[in-house]
Amino acid sequence: MGITDKLSHSQHDHDPPDVLGDLMRGTLDHCVKCTICETFCPVANVTPLFPGPKTVGPQAERFRVRGEESQDHSLDYCSGCGVCTQVCPQGVHIAEINTQARAKLKERDGFSLRDRIIARPPLLGRAGTPAAPLVNKTLASRPLRLLGEKLIGVHHAAAVPTFAGRTFQGWAKKHQSPPAARRVAYFHGCGANWYEPVVGEKTVGLLEAIGCQVDVPRGQSCCGLPLQSNGQFDAARRYVRTMAKRLAPAARAGVDILGTSTSCTLMLKREAREILDLMEDPDLKVVSEHMYDICEYLVMLHDRGELALELQPLPMTVTYHAPCQQQGHGVGKPALELMALIPELTVIENDAVCCGVAGTYGIKVEKYEIAANVGRGLFDQIEGARPDLAVCDSETCRWHIEGSTGVRTVHPLEILHRAAGLSSDAELRAPA
Amino acid sequence: MTTISTEVLVIGGGATGAGVAWDAALRGFDVILVDRADLAEGTSGRFHGLLHSGGRYVVKDPVAADECVAENPILRRVIPDCIEDTGGLFVTTPEDDPAYGDQFLAGCQRAGLPTEEIGVDDALRMEPRLNPGIKRAFTVPDASIDAWKTVWSLARGAAQHGARVLTYHAVVALHKDGDAVTGARVRDELSGEELDIEAGFTLNASGAWAAQIVKLAGIEGIGVIPGKGIMIAMNHRLVNTVINRCTMPADGDILVPIRTVSVIGTTDMREADPDELPVTQAEVDQMLADGERLVPGLLQARALRVWAGVRPLWQDERSGEQATDTRDVSRTHAVVDHSARDGTRGLLTMSGGKLTTLRLMAQDLVDAMCKQQGEDRPCTTAEVRPPGNEDGELYTLGSRLRRREGTQQQEQLICECELIGRTKLEETMRRRGTQNLDDIRRSLRLGMGPCQGGFCIYRAAGILHGTGRLDGAQATASLTSFLSERWHGMWPILYGDQLRQARLDDWIFQGLLGVQHLPPADGDGRVEAPAQETVA
Amino acid sequence: MKPDVVVVGAGLAGLSAAVRLAEAGASVRVLAKGVGSTHLGAGTIDVLGYDAHGGRVDRPLEALGGLPAEHPYGLVGRAGVSAAIEWFKGRVADGPRAPYAYVGDAEQNVLLPTAVGAVAPAGVVPETMAGGDLRGGGRVCVVGFRGLKDFFPALVADNLSRGPDGVTARGVELDLRPEGRADPNALAYARAFDDEGFRADVVAQLVARVAPDELVAFPAVLGLVSPHEVWAEMEHRFGRAVFEIPTLPPSVPGIRVYTTLAQLLTRAGGRVVLNNVITGAERSGDRVRTLRVRVGLREVTYAPEWVVLATGGFSAGGLELDSNWVTHEVALGLPVAGAPAPGSERFGADYFGGQPMDRVGVRTDHEQRPVGEDGGRVVENILVAGATLAGAAPWREKSGDGIALATGLRAAELITGDAAGHVGDVATAGA
Repeated sequence: MGITDKLSHSQHDHDPPDVLGDLMRGTLDHCVKCTICETFCPVANVTPLFPGPKTVGPQAERFRVRGEESQDHSLDYCSGCGVCTQVCPQGVHIAEINTQARAKLKERDGFSLRDRIIARPPLLGRAGTPAAPLVNKTLASRPLRLLGEKLIGVHHAAAVPTFAGRTFQGWAKKHQSPPAARRVAYFHGCGANWYEPVVGEKTVGLLEAIGCQVDVPRGQSCCGLPLQSNGQFDAARRYVRTMAKRLAPAARAGVDILGTSTSCTLMLKREAREILDLMEDPDLKVVSEHMYDICEYLVMLHDRGELALELQPLPMTVTYHAPCQQQGHGVGKPALELMALIPELTVIENDAVCCGVAGTYGIKVEKYEIAANVGRGLFDQIEGARPDLAVCDSETCRWHIEGSTGVRTVHPLEILHRAAGLSSDAELRAPA
Repeated sequence: MTTISTEVLVIGGGATGAGVAWDAALRGFDVILVDRADLAEGTSGRFHGLLHSGGRYVVKDPVAADECVAENPILRRVIPDCIEDTGGLFVTTPEDDPAYGDQFLAGCQRAGLPTEEIGVDDALRMEPRLNPGIKRAFTVPDASIDAWKTVWSLARGAAQHGARVLTYHAVVALHKDGDAVTGARVRDELSGEELDIEAGFTLNASGAWAAQIVKLAGIEGIGVIPGKGIMIAMNHRLVNTVINRCTMPADGDILVPIRTVSVIGTTDMREADPDELPVTQAEVDQMLADGERLVPGLLQARALRVWAGVRPLWQDERSGEQATDTRDVSRTHAVVDHSARDGTRGLLTMSGGKLTTLRLMAQDLVDAMCKQQGEDRPCTTAEVRPPGNEDGELYTLGSRLRRREGTQQQEQLICECELIGRTKLEETMRRRGTQNLDDIRRSLRLGMGPCQGGFCIYRAAGILHGTGRLDGAQATASLTSFLSERWHGMWPILYGDQLRQARLDDWIFQGLLGVQHLPPADGDGRVEAPAQETVA
Repeated sequence: MKPDVVVVGAGLAGLSAAVRLAEAGASVRVLAKGVGSTHLGAGTIDVLGYDAHGGRVDRPLEALGGLPAEHPYGLVGRAGVSAAIEWFKGRVADGPRAPYAYVGDAEQNVLLPTAVGAVAPAGVVPETMAGGDLRGGGRVCVVGFRGLKDFFPALVADNLSRGPDGVTARGVELDLRPEGRADPNALAYARAFDDEGFRADVVAQLVARVAPDELVAFPAVLGLVSPHEVWAEMEHRFGRAVFEIPTLPPSVPGIRVYTTLAQLLTRAGGRVVLNNVITGAERSGDRVRTLRVRVGLREVTYAPEWVVLATGGFSAGGLELDSNWVTHEVALGLPVAGAPAPGSERFGADYFGGQPMDRVGVRTDHEQRPVGEDGGRVVENILVAGATLAGAAPWREKSGDGIALATGLRAAELITGDAAGHVGDVATAGA
């Protein structure tokens, strides 16, 4: 065999993928107990209630058998941030093993009313949007929040979003994207639809400005991530398959799908297939192959020299936190690369791994304080930097950061939108 | 020289000997059990963990099958904490003759062994990693059994009934008075001191070493050829049901989920010496290939450890039995009556047998002794539960995880792979009074998980040292001998993930800690024994 | 943006190469499966602790000459090793943990105690460990914590006292637990030491128990964020040398190294991206043009000018022996040298003895390009560094850090064109 042949060999030639439906669990064999995951785990570092990702993951998994109940409730303190999988040098899918085990635990213990509600953003969205002013006032009322904490277990001080009172879908129905050479589809997610339609509108605006025709596939609901994180796998599968069905036509037509909710794009790109055992689901597969986080996509265009964007100076200071779910994409920090293109913009990179909220984790009464402690380092960095704005790719993290620091926190795309001259400073700084 | 006396001396602290000691003690005999090493350090501690339903023998060895059919439910009843109800499957792989399945069914029916042929799809649903090419599948009540737990439970039970258990005591001579064996001289292997034991009766339960023992009484013409079987433990439960190939018993045809691992077994090779059991490359390759046939992908899974056990092939010149293949020897057992055979009274030997029938073997041996002594003391081991099994609950894999969940806010986890907390470890160190980390391993599975002691053995050595039982030199000797012992079972199967682990362990022990550069222990480096082993 | 240089592996070799490249102005990205082995080692930079015969080395630079010709140090030479050490010390002193610093040089080893009480040669060490140099013997009070299962002070002390180095030691165990945790690891203790209150508790419990002429040893947990301040305060409070002894993983001093290098890299415009697994490469002519990278379920490509391969050895997964007993360089399938033929003995029965597999790895020419069996270069733009290289048994020699650092830096310098002209002076100078 010539050297050329050797070099073109992939490692899969002697490391065939596990074809036995044991994809995530089987990786426990790679664990050498090195504890690197535990040193990075944001939760284990602030509370002994969570014994750590190695402990509840590859270690405990050897004691779990089909048909037998999982025995370790402490597993439920995992926030699902996924940092353990990212840092593992041996390729153990620690977070995925934990999520699957947690689902089994929940299955046995039953799902609380709270977990059923907070894991279904569309239900909340549909209920809250028509009466937004009243609902928002209710959510801002301390006595009512204390009552809510008592009744359903959502911490009274947890940052919850405000309903926009309109939906992005409503806007998109009326919006006609002008024909352009490049076609993309926009996956807006629940955050942009019910709470931050401005983020969706700006995304469409920016994409059009760089020469994309933007389709917004109709009937998008929730990707199922909150259900998956809360262990409700059956419901999560229903949601994600429905979502995949809506997006699949675009993907099959070769159109790339872009999302602004970084955790939801990760769900469709990778997590649902791996964790919910939907590896070969045809809709999900094709969607997964065409799914990009918006910043990832724009950097890709830039690398190809195809990002036609005139950026004006933006003389302000922002902090940037790459949320754990964004890091789960394994694409570096494209938001930083994009913001580096903006003249006069000072970006301070935060080096925290997680803000603590991890989707719905940090709003739960029994985990609120843990989440606050996880985020403390990040919040100190942000407050210490006295920025004009904080920037972060994930909506739940933005709400949590803003609620904890009082610093207005925006999606990186909003910064780009402003620098591209498509919106004003006031629009950027004002709450949506 | 100290002399102690007893009614019954049991030689051999494996499953048979511990079973005999328990049986005899329950019948009210005063018993001393001796073993040249730790309990269950020989054949019993080196088997695959299969509690036979009898399915393996229904075609080839009906007597053995009948015994298993009878004993399996009894053991589930009396030592449930040692047994996991995994169930078993016999599967016809693409290379096996499907017609054997009919013979198998007929045999099961004859033996009264509950079995059912199930659809291949159902079998694959039950065990998704099974070879999808299997042609037939049958369920049987196989189970897995922890030999160390079993032996220790029986020995502790015997001790509670007055038996004295002397581990690390090797028999160096048998005493005779005329034509009667009257006891033995034993040597304490830790201190080197010798001790005389006067015994009314001596029961030889030393398995593969039985011929060596009877020679001490001047008995000739008995040979025990060691039949070596190698086994490989895979890192996790690839299957949760015992998997047997539905074919005549052969090499590499069982996969046993036992505790946290799955064990693929076994080979059958004649060896010259039961204490010299080399594992060869060819055997390892064969075993892995056999495993791959049952569970495709096994070659990519992580092999943890390989070891060899030895089954005794009994050869008696007088009965003319001269089997050539150890596998062709019946798995049944027989009591060798030395007064009839050799004119030697006061001595009986157990030949053959297997772990599943350990209780029956003990009963038969003690019955034979009672008969010779004209005693009528009924056997109660089918009803009485030895210590640790009182609640009647079968062992479940998750039990340690559940216990750990209950204590994790209170105590340190020392062996992370096998979930051993500091309290349990210290308690076991106290109870066993041992200086040897390998003894602790057999009691607790310390260091038997994926990292093979990489993280826990330093800790265990530190704790053992901290109890004041070892000084620095002894702790060092214990640590290094444990590392060598672990290496012994790893190096022939080091590849893939386990090689990564071994190299990380090298970095820790040879690099970070530099244990090889510690000043050597005094003298020959042996750990001296300030305290005596106790079984209570 | 798409980098000119892809460094594969985030251990000491990869990170050092990346920092060096980024600081020289190259656009660099580190792609790694996960975090590297810094978290697992002692945090010292050991050049050479034991020679080929297992003899203790006092003067490592001199001893390099006695190494086999194919040892990786042959690639960098003494000058390369010395320069690498100085570079590392400089970068740490300039890093985010400054004034935390490394002391010592490659000329002379110090003798530091290990967590089992052996005394082992070490090269360049954190200032927080330097006080533990036991070359002159002495009296040591080894302090541990009941809650820390990865460090046993009495065992350390007993073995130190047993040794031939003239050390008298005793152990003291404190029952102080960060946040009342039942099972805190070294990292939890290090975070606790960053807290003034915890330090005060330690000092209060200890100060009366230390004899006037004793040095004070702690497990290596004296602060994660501010190790210099923590250590200096302890020395001040006790009025004598205080030093750290490395624990079982996780290694706090190792984490300090990782943080330092990763932040220096970010500062210089480079970046570490994890969960990126190299699966192969396409080449044209004598250069690799495209690197295939698995990211999650997707395969992406990079087209760097240069690749530095620093994926580690068998423990890190850079090398692998499969169940057919064939050895692979995992990422790119580069030729592997020194592997016993399938069927022949790979390991021997003596755990502490040398093993046939010990020195297996990728062999390179003097410009760190991988070579085939015939010694010919197989590709122009891949450079190999660190534990992937053939020829060393670093855990036994205590040479892993030195090799990683020196070959990592030299790979960077070969790319930037800054490499010192002459390589291979080890052999000549050692003659």
